[in-house]
Amino acid sequence: MQAEKMETDVFILGTGIAGMQAALDVADAGKNVVMVDKSPSIGGKMISLSKVFPTLDCASCITTPRMASVSHHKKITTFTYSEVRFIRKEAGRFRINFVKKPRYVIEEKCISCGKCEDICPVLIKDEFEQNLGAKKAISIPFTNAIPQYPVLDMEHCIACGACARVCPAECIDFSQKEREYELTASAVILSTGFEITPMNAKEEYGGGKFKNVISPLQMERLLAPHGPFSGVVRPSDGKIPDSIAFVQCAGSRDKSIGVPYCSRICCMYSIKQAQLLSGALPLADMTIYYMDIRAFGKGYEQFYQNAKAMGINFVKAKVGKIEELESGNLRLHIERQEGESLPEEVEHDMVVLSQGIRPTPEENFRNINGISRNEYGFIHLPSVPTFPNATGIDGIFAAGAAVGPKDIVDAVQDAGSAAIDALNYIKRTSR
Amino acid sequence: MTDKSAEQSRDFYRQDVKVGVYVCHCGGNISDIIDVEDVARDLSDYPGVSVSRNYIFMCSSTGQGLVEEDIRTKGINRVVIAACSPALHELTFRGTLERAGLNPYLYEHVNIREQGSWVHKSNKKAATEKSKKLIRAAVEKICRQNPLEAIRVNAARSIAVIGGGVAGMSAALSLGRQGFNVYLIEKENRLGGKLNSLWKAYPSEEDGEKTLEELEKDISSLNNINIYLESEVKKIDGYVGNFSVEIVKKGSPEKIKVGALVITTGYVHYIPFEGEYAYKTTKKVVTLPDFIEMLKDDEKNGSLKNVKSVAFIHCVGSRQNPSLDKPQKDEKVNDYCSRTCCTSALFRIKQLLEKYPDKKIFDFYRDIRTYGLQHESYYEELSKKGVLFFRYPEDTRPQVEVKGDKLEVKSKDILTWNEEVSVEVDMVVLLTGVMPADISVIVDDLKLPIGSDRFILEAHPKLRPVEVPNLGIYIGGTAQAPMDLLEAAYGGKAAASKASMLLSKGEISLDPFVASVNPELCDGCEKCIGECLYPGAIVMENGKAKVIPALCKGCGACAAVCHTRAINVAGYSLEQIDAMVEAISKE
Repeated sequence: MQAEKMETDVFILGTGIAGMQAALDVADAGKNVVMVDKSPSIGGKMISLSKVFPTLDCASCITTPRMASVSHHKKITTFTYSEVRFIRKEAGRFRINFVKKPRYVIEEKCISCGKCEDICPVLIKDEFEQNLGAKKAISIPFTNAIPQYPVLDMEHCIACGACARVCPAECIDFSQKEREYELTASAVILSTGFEITPMNAKEEYGGGKFKNVISPLQMERLLAPHGPFSGVVRPSDGKIPDSIAFVQCAGSRDKSIGVPYCSRICCMYSIKQAQLLSGALPLADMTIYYMDIRAFGKGYEQFYQNAKAMGINFVKAKVGKIEELESGNLRLHIERQEGESLPEEVEHDMVVLSQGIRPTPEENFRNINGISRNEYGFIHLPSVPTFPNATGIDGIFAAGAAVGPKDIVDAVQDAGSAAIDALNYIKRTSR
Repeated sequence: MTDKSAEQSRDFYRQDVKVGVYVCHCGGNISDIIDVEDVARDLSDYPGVSVSRNYIFMCSSTGQGLVEEDIRTKGINRVVIAACSPALHELTFRGTLERAGLNPYLYEHVNIREQGSWVHKSNKKAATEKSKKLIRAAVEKICRQNPLEAIRVNAARSIAVIGGGVAGMSAALSLGRQGFNVYLIEKENRLGGKLNSLWKAYPSEEDGEKTLEELEKDISSLNNINIYLESEVKKIDGYVGNFSVEIVKKGSPEKIKVGALVITTGYVHYIPFEGEYAYKTTKKVVTLPDFIEMLKDDEKNGSLKNVKSVAFIHCVGSRQNPSLDKPQKDEKVNDYCSRTCCTSALFRIKQLLEKYPDKKIFDFYRDIRTYGLQHESYYEELSKKGVLFFRYPEDTRPQVEVKGDKLEVKSKDILTWNEEVSVEVDMVVLLTGVMPADISVIVDDLKLPIGSDRFILEAHPKLRPVEVPNLGIYIGGTAQAPMDLLEAAYGGKAAASKASMLLSKGEISLDPFVASVNPELCDGCEKCIGECLYPGAIVMENGKAKVIPALCKGCGACAAVCHTRAINVAGYSLEQIDAMVEAISKE
C-alpha cells in the first residue's frame, strides 16, 4: 500500500482541549495544522464531562463549539481513529507516519443519517458512557461527536449486512482497509493527554469489583443531561442513591500505586459532582473523605466554601477499606483525622473513587525519537521556566496533561504557549 | 405604524425577497419531539418563503448542499436555518452562503433544539407550535435584512506589554520572535519583577537571577523589543488595532501606538496589619518574602544559625473570612487561595533543614496544597524529617504572643482532637498570600472587568483565560490570578499567542453587528452615552451621537434607551425586532 503524502506547518498529536486550543491558535495565525487522534471523535476527555468547575458550565455546551471551530477551520485537517507509527526529525523537518483505521464506512459518501445504527441488531458496551450503557456494533461515537461518521466494531459484527442494505448512501464497506499517511511538518505539538489511574489500583476499595463503587468519569456520565440513564441511579439495581461517598486520593499521593504526586483535579471534580448531585438528588447526603482539600485555582476556594454552605459533608479521614453488603450498599472503614480519631464504619449507597491522573503508556512515545519522560512518566521539559513547552527535541513542543496533571484552564494556557513556540520555531527555521 | 402602512412596508421588502427555510432533524434530537415536516409545510405558505424543506442533518455536507443548490437554481436570496444553537453552526452556514455566492449575513439561525426539543420534551405539540412561531419571526427579520460587510480595521504590527516580570518577559520574547514591534514597559529599573527576589525557586532550585539573565539575554538579542524601564503607563485610549499608550519614562512622557495590549502587571505580597499575628510588634514575626531574603543572606552570613525553632502559619491574607480577618481598604477580605504559598513554604523549610537539620519546625496549616508534580515530595520529606504539622480549624486563627525572648504560638489542632497546642519558638513566618498590583489607571482607561478577588476577570475562566471581552487586550500571569513562576510564563506566552493571532494579518475583521445613529432623528440627549458599556464607542459630534464601529460590540443598550428611535444595530434593527415581535404575538 502506498502511503498518501501530505505537508503541513504544524502537526498536533491529540485533539483534547489542549490540542484543539493549540490548533486554533496556530491556524488563526495563518499556518496549516494537521491533527491526529486515536479516538473516533475529536474533543478528548472534556466532551464527556457533565459540567465544569467552578463555573458549572455544561461541558458539551462549551466544548462542542470548540470542536466545531476546529473542524470548520480551513487551515485545520483532522484525522480521527488514527494512530501515529513514528515521528522522526529529518533534515530539520518532521516526518510523521500514521494510519487511519478502517471505520468500514466510506466517509466521503456518509451523510451521518444513523440508519445503520438504528437497524444493527448487535449491542456492545459503550465506552463513551464509561460502559454504563450499550451501543450498537455500528454507531456514531456519541451525540455530538465530530466527525459524525459511524464506526463499525468488526470484532462484534455478525456480518448480517442489515446496515449495508439500509444505508441510503451505500457507504458501508466491509472490506475497507487502513490507510497510511506520510506527513511532513515543520513543527510538532504533543498534546496526548492523560490516563486515569485504574479502578483496582487499591484493591481494598473494591473498584472494578463492587458494582456501586464507580469511577468519577462514570459519575460524570450519570450527571450529564444526555447521559446513559437520564438521571443518577446506582448501577447494581437502578436505585436512586440516598447517600453517596467520595473517596479522595484513591489514585494519587500514594507511592504504593506508583502515583506519588497530587493529581490536581480530583478535589475540584468531587466538589463539583457533589454540588451537582445536591441539585439532582436534593434529599441525598454527600460525603467527601479527604486528606487535604486542594482548591487552589481561581475561584476554586470560593467554590469549595459554597459546597460546604450547601451542606456537603467534608470529613478528613483515611478510608482503610470498603466492603460490599448484600443490599449493594458499601461499608467504609474509616479513620477520622479530626475530632475523636477512632476507627469507624460508615455505610453509603454508592461510592465514587476519586481516581487520579497518570501518564499515557510508554508506547505512545516510543516511536517519537528523542522524547524523554520525567521520573513520573510525563513528557520531560528540560528548559522550564524560560522555554516551558520545549521537549528534548528542538521543534517538538508539549502541552496539556501530557506534561503532568492539569485542569482545563491550565491546559488551555499552556496550549496557547505551545502554539506560539511552534510558530516561532517555524519562523526561526524557515529563514 | 398603522396596520396598513405596516402591510405596505412588508410588501415593499418582499418584492425581491426569496426566503429558503430549512428545518433540521438533528438526527432525532429535534425531530423526535418537534414535527419537523409539519413545521416545514406550515412555513412553505408563509409570505416571502419560496422554498421550505426539512432534512436529517442540515450541517452535513449534503444538507449544506441543499441550501447551495437552492441559492444557485431557485434564486433563494435569504436563508433561515432552524436547527441547533447558532453558537455551533452559525459560522458553518455563513460559509455555505458564501460558497453559493450570497452575502453571508442574509441568513438567520433559529435554535429549535436547545430552545425547542430539548426543553419541551413533555409537550410535543407546543414545541412544534413554538418552532413555527420562532421561524416565522426569523423570516420576518431576514426579509428586512440588508447585505452586511465585516468591519475591517487596519492594525499596527506592534504590541505594548505592560509589566516586565516573567509573564511579561515571556510574552515580549514570544512576540518579538514573531517579528512584532514590542514595547516592554516596566516600572522598576530592571526587568524580572518578582524573579529578582525569588532566589532559588522551586521545583528546579535554579536561581531566579539565572532565569532572569537567560530571559534578558534572549530579549536583548532581538532589536524589535523596546525596553522601557522605570516607566509607567499614564493613559491608554483607542481601540483594537489602534491603541495609543502614554508612558512616562524616567519622568519624561512619550506616546506609542500599538495594535494590541498584553497586561502582565503581576502581584504584590499581602502585608499583614500591625498586630496581625503580632506582625510589626516584634522583628521575630516575618513574612514569607522576608524569610526568603533571610535564607539567602544566611547562605553567606549564617544569620539563621541562632534561630533554633520556627513556626510557619499558612493562609495569612488568603482564604480569609470576614468574621475573623480584617478587610482591605475596599472592605473586602481575601477569600481566595493564593495557590503558591504552601509549596513555597515547604520548599523553603526543606532548604532550611538541609543546612540545619536540628532546627525545630512547626507548621500551622489548613490544607496543604502541594499540587504540582514535584511539590508533594516536599510535604512527604518534611513529614519524615520531623516537622510537626498542626491543622487549625477554619473558624479559628493561631495566636502569636511575645513571651520575653521567645514567641508563643497557640492554636487548636484538628489532628489531635481539637486540642489547644502551644509552642515556643524563636521566629514566626507568616505565609502571606498575593494580591494583584494596583493598575487602576489601566483598568479605568480600558474599562477592564475586575473580579470580586480584584484580579482581572478573564472572558471565560475555563476556555478564555488570557482574553477579556474587549478585543485586542490580553492578560497573562498573576494579573489574572495567583500562579507560580512556570504558570506565569505559560500565561504570558498564551496571551502573546492571542495577540500574535490578532495582528498576524495586518487587518482585523470585526462582526458588522454594530450600532449606527440616524443624525436626523438624534436630538443629542446623550442618554446612549450614559448607557454604553464600551468606553468611547459613542461620541458626540456637532451635537449628535456618533458610533465608532471598531469599539461597538452591538449590545443594543444605546438603541434601547434612545427615545427618538434614532439608533439601530445592523442586523437587529428596530424595524426587524418590531416585525419579529409582531409575528410571534400573532395568533
